[in-house]
Amino acid sequence: MGESWFHREFLTPRRLIFNVLFYGLQFFWFGLGWYLQETDEKLAALNALTWSVWTSRGAGLVLAFLAGLLLLPMLRNVIRVIRPKLAWLFPADENIWFHRQVAYSMAFWVMVHTTAHYVNFINVERTQVRTEYALQIHYTQAGGITGHFMVLIMVLIYTTAHRKIRNQCFEAFWYTHHLAFFFYVGLYSHADGCFVRDSTNPDYIPSFPFYSTEHCLGYESWRFTMWPAVLYFGERMYREYRARRSTKLSKVLVHPSGAMELRIVKPSFKYTAGQWLFIQVPELSRFQWHPFTITSAPEDPYVSVHIRQVGDWTHSLGERLGCGPSVVAAMTKTAMKGVEKNEDIYGTRGEFVELDSGTLSRPLPDVRIDGPYGAPAEDVFDNEVAVLVGAGIGVTPFASILKHIWYRQKKGNIGSLRRVEFFWVCRDAPSFGWFQTLLQEIEDAQFDPNFLRINIYLTQKIGEDMLWNIAVNDAGADFDPLTLLRTRTMFGRPDWKSIYRRIREAIEIGQYLPGSNAQLKTTVGTYFCGPGVMAHAIKEATLQHTSKNVIFKFAKEHF
Amino acid sequence: MGNLVWHDLSRLIAITASLYTVWSGYWGLFYRKFFWDFVGGILRNPGGLQPSPKVIGFINVIVKAPVIQILAMIVGLGLLALEWPLPLFKGTAIHRSMPLRIIILLVQASLTVLYYQGTNAALYSLIAAGAYTRAIMLNETYEEAKSNRGQTGAA
Repeated sequence: MGESWFHREFLTPRRLIFNVLFYGLQFFWFGLGWYLQETDEKLAALNALTWSVWTSRGAGLVLAFLAGLLLLPMLRNVIRVIRPKLAWLFPADENIWFHRQVAYSMAFWVMVHTTAHYVNFINVERTQVRTEYALQIHYTQAGGITGHFMVLIMVLIYTTAHRKIRNQCFEAFWYTHHLAFFFYVGLYSHADGCFVRDSTNPDYIPSFPFYSTEHCLGYESWRFTMWPAVLYFGERMYREYRARRSTKLSKVLVHPSGAMELRIVKPSFKYTAGQWLFIQVPELSRFQWHPFTITSAPEDPYVSVHIRQVGDWTHSLGERLGCGPSVVAAMTKTAMKGVEKNEDIYGTRGEFVELDSGTLSRPLPDVRIDGPYGAPAEDVFDNEVAVLVGAGIGVTPFASILKHIWYRQKKGNIGSLRRVEFFWVCRDAPSFGWFQTLLQEIEDAQFDPNFLRINIYLTQKIGEDMLWNIAVNDAGADFDPLTLLRTRTMFGRPDWKSIYRRIREAIEIGQYLPGSNAQLKTTVGTYFCGPGVMAHAIKEATLQHTSKNVIFKFAKEHF
Repeated sequence: MGNLVWHDLSRLIAITASLYTVWSGYWGLFYRKFFWDFVGGILRNPGGLQPSPKVIGFINVIVKAPVIQILAMIVGLGLLALEWPLPLFKGTAIHRSMPLRIIILLVQASLTVLYYQGTNAALYSLIAAGAYTRAIMLNETYEEAKSNRGQTGAA
C-alpha cells in the first residue's frame, strides 16, 4: 500500500465518516453508561467504588452495542436483499471487514470492562459494601461466571480466526466460530446475577427475566441486542431449509486441466450472473460448506460450478466422484496426445469427459447448495461499452457474465450494450484450461467480430526458449499458441492508462461505436474482480480519462 | 480436519496469555491480593478478608511487596519477545524450541495463578502449553528461515 495510514483512515471521505461514526458512537455509549451510573441516586452504594464502577458500566454498554453490531454483517441473505437499494450507503461487500472491526473494538472494550471489574470486586471485598468475597462475585455469580466464560471463548475464537490458521485449517476456524452461540448465551445472561442493584440481596423473581427490574438496575441492553441474534438464528434456519430443498447432481464433467464441472439441478435456486454459492456434500462432511463462483448463466437449465482439486476437501470430492489426481493426470496425457494428432482446423485442448453415472461403480453423491450470494452484474447492460477485467482467480465470475451476455445477445436483448472489452490478466493461463475452453466457445459464437474483444495478458516471466517458440511459431498461425484462441496473448502487465486513452479517442472520433453520434454521451462501465493494487491503477486510469463525452465508471466487485 | 499447524495456533494463544499476564501483573501492583487467601481466611465487616496466618509467605511476596507480580511481568514480556518475535530471537535455536516455550508457559502459569488478577492468564498459558505439547507430539518443526527463497515476481 503506497498511501500512509493517516491518509487512508482520515483523508478518504467515506472512511473518515465511518471512523467518526463507528468510534464516535463507541465513546458516546461509554460516556452515557458512565454518566447514568454516576448520577443514579439509587446506586449510591455502588458508586462508593467510584471510577472503576463507572468505567465498567460504560464499557459494558459499549460492549452490548458492539455485540449487537457483530452479527449484522453476517446476515448474508438480508444483505443480499437490501444491497441493490443501499449499495450507495455502505459497501455491502465489505461485511467481513466490518465484522472484524467490530471484533477488534470488542477486544479493546473487554479489556477495559474486565479490568474495571477486577478493581470493583476487590474493593467490594475490602470495603464490604456487600458482605462477600471478591471471588464469590467472580466465580459463583452469573455475571462473573458468564464473563470469564465469554472471555475464554473470545480467546479461542480470535486465535483460530487469524488469517494464518484460517488458511491452514478452515474447519478449526469454522467450528470454533460456532462457540459464538455459547458466547451469546453468556452475553444475554450476563446481567442475570443482578450485580447492579439498589437492594442488599439480588431481587430474583420466578418469571422471565427472573430478576426484578425494580431493584436490578442494569441497562437491559439485551432487550435490543437480542434481535440481531434472533435474526441471525432465523437466517441460519432458513438457509438450512433452503439447502434441503430438492437438489440433484445431474452431471460431472472433467476438464483436461483437472477442473471438475458439477452440473446441479435445483429448480428452486434463482440467481443472476456473477453470484456465488456454498456447496456441501454430506457424504464427505455433514457440516462443511464451501464457497464457489457460479459459472453457468441464469439461462442455463442447470447450475454449474468449476472446482479445481487443490485442497483436501476438493481432493476427496474428486476421489469420491472417480476423478482423482491419477485419473486427471491420465486424461491430461491423452488430451495432449489428441492435440498432436488432431488434424482438425481447431487445435482444441482436448474435450472434456463426462462421468456417466451409469458407468460409475457408485451413484453420484447428494449435494446441497446454499445461495446465491454476492453482487448481480445486471447493470452491465446499462452501459454502451462494458470493460470487464478479471485478474487471476478473479476471472471466474466472468464465465457466468460472458455466458449471460451471450445468451442475451442471441435473444437480441442486450440493453444499450454495444461492445464488450474483456481483459484477463493472469500469471499462467494454462492453469485455467476450462476457462479457455469456455472463451473459445464464446469467441466462436460471435457473429459480430467487433462486439466482444478478448484481451489476455500473461504476466509470468517467460524464458528464452518460450520467447523463441512464440516468436517463430506464432507468426501466421490462426490461433494463439498458448491459449488456442483467435485472440493473441499479450505479455506483461497491461498499461491501463493507454488502454483507456485509446478507448476514449476511438469513441470520440466515432470509430469505436459505428453509427453513434460523437456528440452523444457514452458511458463506459468497468467491472473489475481481482487484487486491490490493480483496482487502484484502473480506477486512476478511468478518472484520468473521463471527459465531456465519455464517462468512465468503475466498480470493484467482490462477486 | 485440514492441516492445522498446532504451534501456529499455540503461538497466538501464548501471545494472548502473555499480554494478559503483563496487564494483570501491572494492575496487581496497585491492587495486591493473594488469590488463594480465602482458604482459611476470615471475612470481617468492616475490615475485609483476613488471610490465614499459614499463608504468610505468600502474603509477603504478593501483598507486602509485589514480587510475584513483577516476576510474572518479566516472564510475560520475555515470552512475548520470544513469540512475537523480537528481531534478536529471529532464526535462533531458542526461537525454534517448543519445549522451552512449554517450560516458560508453565512458569508463567504457576506465577499468575498466585495473585488475584492473574488466574485467566494462568488458564490461557496452560491451554497454550497444551497446544505446544500437541505440536511436539505431532513432530511439528519450525520452518527454516525463508530468506533463501526468492520473492515471487522478483528477478
